Amino acid sequence: MNFSVHTPMLQRLRCLLAALLLTLAPGAVPQNSDLEVEVIVSPSLAEVTLDRSLLRAVFTMRVREWPDGTPIRVFVLPDDNPLSDQFYREQLGMYSYVLRRAWDRMVFTGTGFAPTVVRSEAEMIERVRSTPGAIGFVRKRAASSQNRPAPPRWKIVTITADGHG
Amino acid sequence: MVDGFNETGRRCVRVRLAAALAAICCSGSAGAVDYQIHGYAAQGFVLSSHNDFFGDSTDGSFDYYEAGINAAVRIQPNLSFAIQAAVRDAGISDDGSVRLDYAVADYRVLSETNVQAGLRFGKVKNALGFYNETRDVVFTRPSILLPSVYSDNQNQRTLIFTSPGAQAYGATVLGQHELSFTGTFNAERDVRKNDERLLVELTVPFDLRVGDSWNLQVMDSIDGGRWQFAYSHFGGQFRMSTEIDLSGRFDVDLNVFSARFNAERVTLTAEYVLIDNDNRLTYLGAPFLRQRVAADSGYLQVEYRLGSNWAVMSRLDSFYRDRHDRSGHAFAAANPGIDRRTQFSHDFTVGIHWRPDQHWGFWAEHHWINGTAILQALENPPPLRHQRWSMLMLMAGYKF
Repeated sequence: MNFSVHTPMLQRLRCLLAALLLTLAPGAVPQNSDLEVEVIVSPSLAEVTLDRSLLRAVFTMRVREWPDGTPIRVFVLPDDNPLSDQFYREQLGMYSYVLRRAWDRMVFTGTGFAPTVVRSEAEMIERVRSTPGAIGFVRKRAASSQNRPAPPRWKIVTITADGHG
Repeated sequence: MVDGFNETGRRCVRVRLAAALAAICCSGSAGAVDYQIHGYAAQGFVLSSHNDFFGDSTDGSFDYYEAGINAAVRIQPNLSFAIQAAVRDAGISDDGSVRLDYAVADYRVLSETNVQAGLRFGKVKNALGFYNETRDVVFTRPSILLPSVYSDNQNQRTLIFTSPGAQAYGATVLGQHELSFTGTFNAERDVRKNDERLLVELTVPFDLRVGDSWNLQVMDSIDGGRWQFAYSHFGGQFRMSTEIDLSGRFDVDLNVFSARFNAERVTLTAEYVLIDNDNRLTYLGAPFLRQRVAADSGYLQVEYRLGSNWAVMSRLDSFYRDRHDRSGHAFAAANPGIDRRTQFSHDFTVGIHWRPDQHWGFWAEHHWINGTAILQALENPPPLRHQRWSMLMLMAGYKF
């Protein structure tokens, strides 16, 4: 191949990149192994059993209705929320940027809907409780603050063994 | 692809700002009937040495922006409609006019946990490689400029990348593998005047149409998208007619091979495209010219996420107009006066990307380029100014 680049510029860039890595890398990706996440669904839903494959199909927006015919409405927290990262990684076995790429592709090609992004866990609970067919995720109550709203009428879904794989 | 240019002289390049950026401020979500409204807008800046790219970039060009707004409505879980209007300006290769990007009805035939299938009708996006379908949304690109596999500086949007037709799609899960398929049949359509002049060099007026074409993509996404492999194909026939008895038929076949590895911080991507052209010109009903050329292009790219907001990338990218004449010597010998270095380009890119929140994004990248095959001749009239050149690109974008 006939490729060549300007060497002095490359060296300068290497220095620049090294400096950037040193500045930004430490602690850049939050590790929150103490966070525990649970899936919540709308109380109007009939009993659903979620395993990882259904959960993945739901959150990648590939399936559009629950077995009882109710349209699926997905709620998520912002991508940079540590809880999102934890949930996607542990329950779906996926990285948030891979999911975001899939959602953006659907939104900007007219081939699907993106999940609705809510700002906080309190909003998540409220939206999931009030929206038929809704699904979302929150911090497990034991690990969260005492000030969380009293147990509302939203459902906590127990993931079958496959979901923890 | 048919390639060439007519001598219309230098275009007066205007510096324009994306006014659309300020106009977009609303968003929507689910209601009784589910609907969503989304949009994007981004303004670019290009500063290059020696050669012009996306406008008069040797003096700094703002002649590069993109914006779009879309709406999607879901009547029932298995029936939805979506539409997107878009504008894009990119020097001589795109003119900033408003276009219908897609308008599609989607009917889901099968929607099980592990098997989905459906049909789409209307003006649909064609799946080609990893990035084609959302190529004009900087938030979905790995860099401001797409690698030359995607011919970003040859506006081919009315040709290949989106077109009226019918599309069938499906996906199935087999263990760790999620296999998906998209197949599109595109109806015959006209090529926009702005694109015609970039594709065919002819001194008499002519009209270019794309005959029926088809496109397919198969993809295997393994382990939640950790590994992704895809094969995409486009096959089409272009027909040219003139007022004199000269006509042309250009058969184009594109084969794209794609592979990607997604780790927590690192994404490695490699794609290769092989473009077969079979060009035939007929004068007064008799064969006049027959030309078969195979072009190819490929790249290797690494993206590194420094955190949830910052990422850096680097890419080696090569493009050859004739894969059997990579140096361009044979071409130069057969075409006296045309420099061999117009027949290839090698682009080494480094870039950085900052996403402070879910709406805003800022990109900066530098290209070191050897060869001029990715330049538009209308922006860079012969003779060749410089074989080795470089380019700084900046972009700021907003999406909702």
